[in-house]
Amino acid sequence: MARYGMAFDYKLCINCRACEVACKEENGIELGANKHRLWIETKEPSGDFWNLNREKMDFMQLQCQECEDAPCLKACPNHAIYQDKNGIIRLHEDKCDLSLDCVKACPYDARYVDTRKNITDKCIFCADTRLARGLITTACQVTCPAKVRIFGDLDDANSEISRVLKEREYFQLKVEEGTKPKLFYLK
Amino acid sequence: MKKIEVSRRKFLQGSVSLCIYATSAMAVPLSTTKTSNKSATGVPYLCNMCRNKCAGFARVENGIVTKLDPNPYFPKSRNMLCPKGNAGVDSLYDKDRLKYPLIRIGNRGEGKYQRVTWDEAYEYIKDRLVEILDKQKDNRSTIAYCNGEGFNKDEYIKFFGEKIGSANFLDEGSICLNTKLGATLLTIGDVGEMDVAGSDFLMLLGANRFESLITPDSVDMARVQKEQKLVVVDPRATVTALKADEYLPINVGTDLALILSMSYIAIKENLYNMEFVKKQFKDFDKYKEHILKEKYTPQWAESKTAIPKEKIERLTKEFFSAERPLLYMGRRSVWAKNDFQLRRAMVLLNGLAGSINRKGGIVFGEPIKLPQEAINSPIYDNAEGRFDLDGVVYGSQKGGSWLNFREKVVTKTAPYEVKAMFIRKHNLMHNMPNVTKTKKMLEMMDLVVVLDSMPTDTAIMADVILPECTYLEREDMVVSFNRLEPSLALRNQVIKPLYESRSMQDILKGLGQKLSLPLFEISKKYDEELQDSIKELGEKKAFGEGGYDLAELYKRDISQRNRELITKKFGKDVYRTLKERGVWYPNMGKQHKEIFNGVYEYYPKEKRFYSVDRKYRVKCYLKKLEKNGFDPMPTWRDEYNFKVAKDSFRMITGRYVMFTQSATTNNKMLRDLEATNHIWINDKVAKSKNIKLGDLVEVKSSIGKVQIKAYPTNKIHPQVVWFAHGYNSTSESMTNSYGNGANDNEIIEDRFEKIYGCATMHHTDVTIRKI
Repeated sequence: MARYGMAFDYKLCINCRACEVACKEENGIELGANKHRLWIETKEPSGDFWNLNREKMDFMQLQCQECEDAPCLKACPNHAIYQDKNGIIRLHEDKCDLSLDCVKACPYDARYVDTRKNITDKCIFCADTRLARGLITTACQVTCPAKVRIFGDLDDANSEISRVLKEREYFQLKVEEGTKPKLFYLK
Repeated sequence: MKKIEVSRRKFLQGSVSLCIYATSAMAVPLSTTKTSNKSATGVPYLCNMCRNKCAGFARVENGIVTKLDPNPYFPKSRNMLCPKGNAGVDSLYDKDRLKYPLIRIGNRGEGKYQRVTWDEAYEYIKDRLVEILDKQKDNRSTIAYCNGEGFNKDEYIKFFGEKIGSANFLDEGSICLNTKLGATLLTIGDVGEMDVAGSDFLMLLGANRFESLITPDSVDMARVQKEQKLVVVDPRATVTALKADEYLPINVGTDLALILSMSYIAIKENLYNMEFVKKQFKDFDKYKEHILKEKYTPQWAESKTAIPKEKIERLTKEFFSAERPLLYMGRRSVWAKNDFQLRRAMVLLNGLAGSINRKGGIVFGEPIKLPQEAINSPIYDNAEGRFDLDGVVYGSQKGGSWLNFREKVVTKTAPYEVKAMFIRKHNLMHNMPNVTKTKKMLEMMDLVVVLDSMPTDTAIMADVILPECTYLEREDMVVSFNRLEPSLALRNQVIKPLYESRSMQDILKGLGQKLSLPLFEISKKYDEELQDSIKELGEKKAFGEGGYDLAELYKRDISQRNRELITKKFGKDVYRTLKERGVWYPNMGKQHKEIFNGVYEYYPKEKRFYSVDRKYRVKCYLKKLEKNGFDPMPTWRDEYNFKVAKDSFRMITGRYVMFTQSATTNNKMLRDLEATNHIWINDKVAKSKNIKLGDLVEVKSSIGKVQIKAYPTNKIHPQVVWFAHGYNSTSESMTNSYGNGANDNEIIEDRFEKIYGCATMHHTDVTIRKI
């Protein structure tokens, strides 16, 4: 029993995409440029080459926000989506009939269609691979050169994530949707 | 509350992923193997997806490698794997891999081969070599050999250089970083290492460390962003430039003018570290006089570089008032003809700031010394010397000069004929400017043998292809890494070689056994020294004592050699640690600790070799250069001015973060990230030429033309175009990279600078036409 979350020291990201490859290799994700559990959002500078408006360019690490109050779970007509004992939003693969209601309901665009299994898929914090093996790390986290991602149990006051959230300011994405996401972006 | 537009990455993301790749190539398996929920063995290995060598643990389940994870013990790679390192599994299981020995049955480049046994392949090579060496009267240097892989280079040289006796070894140094190594070596007496993590003010020129990853430099830069001021100078707004605190756009090839001007300001305004200069510099008076006399003022530099003079002045002052400033020297660095002088000016500027042999500077450090295995090498009386350094002032005696070598071969101006080539993991048809000339060179050979794991464009030029296994299928000799935080690392074998592929040592062992006696017979015929020796000792003894057994080094296998070598010098425990953890360094057990979230400390600060006790001088003046008609001190010449022909663009080259030159463009996982290469062209210029995103354009230089899709962007100089190196195989067997994108070296004109014989890359003007 845990309540897993992830914090991002997002400004350190250099968009090398090691996280994306590590995720795909660990979890056997379907190949294809539009198939991914996580992705990095980039921005382009504006202006003329000699005077680019870029400040210090930041990249955003995006993926399922592991909502406490998950719109996808509520939207599924087949009750295929559930929250596991660690607070991770999971899928009963056999119950999914690709109604795509979950895809539409997600404010974070976190889900994609796995065309091999005909299910909707998203980040589950390596729940059926690394966590199932007793590790408390995710593939994207350990491989990251800048060590942007901090993963752990939000209910454990001594976990690195709990400590960092106590010490540093952060923001969350689309809190106005009332989803109560468990992903935190450190300022 | 920060507003972030959240949307799943679609077609166009970041730089230039324009097409969905994998879904259109149904032949490719649509995923990799998912790891299981059970624990499995982790084998420590060293990565070889690029030349950099990071450490990892390979997860093996039922004999299949399912995942590669970073190794937290290795100081160099700082507990990380990059996208390429992660995708190593897909290179191991690439369905296009070379699986069996092959002998050519079609024309060179046609890709028609017949599967043969290893013995048939060796037999074929033997017959040809005997013929060639007989004709060349035992001049062993008629066999050229080259290598592009980081590991095993020394083993390869021992076989072809010392045992077979050829002087003609070529490696990637002369199309990579030899000017930088040479400039540092000749100026401070050592190639050194740059302590990126220790600097509070880092200035990068001609380097793109966030898209061309080098460990620990790139990792350190990423992690210290909050504590370090980063200034990037580049004609293209790379990711490194976009992430920098300050980005200075510059005219191509004018970096030397900027450095000279910074030196001028520092000297003129007495900003430099006088104590250090007085103690360590040699001929500083000459340098001072030269820099002041030439009047490298900021105004002058602005006219050359297009960087405003106020910025040059301010940055110079900031640089010299920083506590530990570092001017980063780059790596694959030979861009312009003045490259050696540029790198030297950079070393001297670091010296002016006192940033040598100290924290945050160029450090000498204390590498761990490994013993060398002795081998008994024959001396061939008729073996000629190398010729590729003729006309080059210094040059690398080890790796030579590729362009000079090739030029002399194709124009038949070499002092003797080169008739055979052994090419190991070195894609000559991609890696150096002017592919047409490389093709011509290979066509002139009587025997071309390629050792590789992929059917590259170079492999299909070979007479014989010998399938070498990948880095995950072999153990290699232990290697010593780094100077500031030194360690030993061992590449362990993760799985046995797939198909009929073999390790390089096993390939050379078989070849050596096959060649020893027949080649000895040739020497007997032509080598008078050997004839005398036979008279004196008898044939058997002359063969044995003379070292003519070519397979001698491989009598014992690698794991045995490693065990003996490591145990003898460092003891059993070190050997065991290397087998279990892949890495060892002194006091590892005590010193190695996690600081936070996977960030480790390897050496406490007080134990890192920032400053070592060593006598050295920073040499301002190089007499040998003067004697050979070159500038003894870095000097600007009018010929260096940035000038592009009318209606043309200066073509520059570089990399995407997920590819290592041509070696990885067939990797299905990486192709998912960047489907093809695009040519960057300034957005305003593109608009005036009606070129839009994705339009196919023809890019033409004096030596060739290519077709490539366009990427109009404000991130590039209006007179410059860029595209990534390594794309577009002509080998149909490379199914993912065949015909995809464009190969820069089909249009880059082949020129080399004359101080190190290095190919320069950024002098070609091209025209662009929408198709």
